[in-house]
Amino acid sequence: MAKLTIDDLHLSYGSNHILKGISATFAQGEIVALLGRSGSGKTTLLRSIAGLEEPSKGTITIGNSPVFDGAAGLNVPSEKRGLGLVFQSYALWPHKTVFENVAYGLRLRNVPSAEITQRVAAVLEGVGLGHLGDRYPHQMSGGQQQRVALARALVYNPPVILLDEPLSNLDAKLREEARIWIRSLIKKMNLTAVFVTHDQVEAMAIADRIVLLDGGRIVQAGTPQQLYTEPVSLFASEFMGTNNQIKSRVQDKRGGYTQIELSGFALWGKDRGGKAVGEDATGVIRLEQVAVVAGEGENCIQATLETSLYLGSQWEHVFRCGDLSLRTFGGPLAAGSHWLHLPPEQLWVF
Amino acid sequence: MNRATRIAVIVAMAIAVLAPIGLVVYQSFLDGPFFQPKTAFTLSAYDFVLDDEDFFDALWNSAVIAFGMTAIAVPVGAILAFLMVRTDLPGRRWIEPVILVPMFVSSVVLAFGFVVSLGPAGIVSLWVKSWLGTIPWYLYSKWMLIVIAGLTHVPHVFLYTSSGLRSLGSDVEEAARMTGAGPLRVALTVSLPMVMPNILYAAVLVFFLGFELFGLPLVLGDPEGILVLATYLYKLTNKLGTPSYQLMAVVVVSIICIALPLVALQRHLLRTANRYVSVKGKASAQKPVTIGFWRWPAVALIVCWLAFTVVVPISGLILRAFVSSWGEGVQLSQVLTLDHFRELMHFPNLVRGIVNTLLIASVGGALSVGVYTVLNLAAHRWQSGWTRLMDYLVLLPRAMPGLVAGLAIFWVFLFTPFLSPMRQTMIAIWVAYTLVWLAYGMRLVSGALLQIGPELEEAGRVVGASAGRVSRDLTLPLIKVGLISSWLLIFITFMREYSTGVYLLSPGTEVIGSLLVSLWGSGAVDLVTALSTVNIAMIGCGLLLMSLFGKRSHG
Repeated sequence: MAKLTIDDLHLSYGSNHILKGISATFAQGEIVALLGRSGSGKTTLLRSIAGLEEPSKGTITIGNSPVFDGAAGLNVPSEKRGLGLVFQSYALWPHKTVFENVAYGLRLRNVPSAEITQRVAAVLEGVGLGHLGDRYPHQMSGGQQQRVALARALVYNPPVILLDEPLSNLDAKLREEARIWIRSLIKKMNLTAVFVTHDQVEAMAIADRIVLLDGGRIVQAGTPQQLYTEPVSLFASEFMGTNNQIKSRVQDKRGGYTQIELSGFALWGKDRGGKAVGEDATGVIRLEQVAVVAGEGENCIQATLETSLYLGSQWEHVFRCGDLSLRTFGGPLAAGSHWLHLPPEQLWVF
Repeated sequence: MNRATRIAVIVAMAIAVLAPIGLVVYQSFLDGPFFQPKTAFTLSAYDFVLDDEDFFDALWNSAVIAFGMTAIAVPVGAILAFLMVRTDLPGRRWIEPVILVPMFVSSVVLAFGFVVSLGPAGIVSLWVKSWLGTIPWYLYSKWMLIVIAGLTHVPHVFLYTSSGLRSLGSDVEEAARMTGAGPLRVALTVSLPMVMPNILYAAVLVFFLGFELFGLPLVLGDPEGILVLATYLYKLTNKLGTPSYQLMAVVVVSIICIALPLVALQRHLLRTANRYVSVKGKASAQKPVTIGFWRWPAVALIVCWLAFTVVVPISGLILRAFVSSWGEGVQLSQVLTLDHFRELMHFPNLVRGIVNTLLIASVGGALSVGVYTVLNLAAHRWQSGWTRLMDYLVLLPRAMPGLVAGLAIFWVFLFTPFLSPMRQTMIAIWVAYTLVWLAYGMRLVSGALLQIGPELEEAGRVVGASAGRVSRDLTLPLIKVGLISSWLLIFITFMREYSTGVYLLSPGTEVIGSLLVSLWGSGAVDLVTALSTVNIAMIGCGLLLMSLFGKRSHG
């Protein structure tokens, strides 16, 4: 069942169009990442769902009740939507204790005070801060503040919880831990969650589904695997991973495959851009898909090893083939010339 | 606040601001007081004022004094700011709080201080005369007035320049030192040019205050008949025997016409200055510039300035309040007395004045801060034509000097039937004070509001609080400290205010400031100095409270 539905949402500040027709549905119990560069409209979309921005057109429906309808002039204020929102800066109220920060949403709902005490204690326990209710926000670390912000958004059981770059203020180590516990907490509580991020690794790690935005439009939506292995555009493929790019011209086409050329070597790749023979095209292949092989073969090129970087768990090799440099991962390699295999089903031609 | 309440608040403010100005403009086109039954529209009042030589004399004097004091205050204030903020000047921590004193003491009180210290029979004059046989200055000349006005307005320039310098990273100065510039060169070619927008703003402010000047020329210009616009207005009250309302209205209109462009210019400059400051953020580590030998002449310069503008007038005034008389051959220790203060207590109106001043500053100040807060909340996080209108409305009272605003409010209370019973109560005084300091108070409160990030309030909305509850539960508690310190500043401001109450002075509405102005006219020096001393003591208590509060809220 769709918990949150957005249909043809537009938003602009003056002549500056931020959202240009966004449609998406979010199912019960699903974690969805809104992924995009800064300025792609992802935060604006999240704030529109929360009721903090006013779109110009379109509809937003939570469960069965519409909360925004541009045509009908309906715009339910934030406080009546009953959603939970975790701010990027956490936005904890500095004059209230952790307990009071979390309890505020319940007090507004006239929950009896005995029940408030019990529910706040339970949710703080859930985020691992059971003993810190009397502290003030400034007495806590960044990671703890983030947990309080999450507890504050969860305590009144919102139908959908929204998170704005929830991990961006944590340092690298903490961020990796937080990815795990946020996902498991949301899954355990069977919540519907929408979170904004600009980090594709974070999006893939936490989300069940990713909505990739660019320039106020949805580029692609799907599971993390779909976005990583079947990007629909050059932009999507570049955004989701690190690639080698081969600028070339279409030589031949056959059965869903396109042939391009790199310094005299013919390469077959999956036809994704639909370019005709003779047109300029770009071949894209993920770094980890390029393999060093023993000798000549189909879809192989010869390249000179330029340099190798030791990364700890593996080596990153930089090869040169004509005026193009290609990167790949692997074990230690001797200097000199090597053969590289670019599997046709992993080489995408746009 | 919801939209309807916001608009209602802004409309109420518009009425409060526009009614006095509208009434004054209306009055200026009549041939008699507006409350008389038979009045007709005419330009005769304009003809009269524009034909009056005294008016153009006053206008010319105002311009000369404004230029002169700007020329003195800006360089002195800017250098002072550089020395205090950016150098290793000895004793900076002790000097800094004293620099602002002339801003906190009312300028009539300072003027009295100059008269009793440096006037022809002043204590310092007599002392110098006993050494030199003559007094090498004449206090009541125009030049002396310009010098005193200039030096007492140094703190304004200091305040704005130093705040700019504080946000400047010291790396730019160190870079200049490394390329071989001496400290003075650094100040003149690097530090001060970088805060030029702030200095420019302060210059326009001082020039504007020069046009508004009332207390200093009233006391120091009177003996030689030097009139400025404000004192011309004050004297005009009785020029034709009967109160000539239409003539006063014309002068008020001309003062507003001069002040309004200056106020608009200040607003424009303040915006550019703020933009300028935010560009060069890196102010984390400030290291003072070492000025070596130059610090001794620098300290000497500052001490001389402080002695002239603070120590001499205030100590002279306080001393005068405690002696029965002085003159050549009088031993001060033999004439010490508390008689003036005892005498003070025998005048019920003076006692009422002291009580009223305390009330208007404390209770009235708190109410005013409440009004400023409501007005700020009405415009808070709301972009619309209404808030822009409010931005411009705030400027209007700014263009009315206290004397003028007091007069306009007096007329409004006279004119409006349901207000007239309150004309002779402290309510009229409070309305006038709140209006005169509207722009200042609004800025104090909005400064506090700017400190809180929008997401703190948005978080409240999202968890389910209505706009009103967000204001009550989140916004107001978050700016509590800012509101208390705003109140303390308004407390001191209302305590020292003297010109606004002048036209509203009547039995029951006495405040120290307006009493001082009227007592000075009657020549009661003993009472004036005693009352001034009381006023200084009250302001001193306010300052003490403020520094205690500042320490507590920072620690």
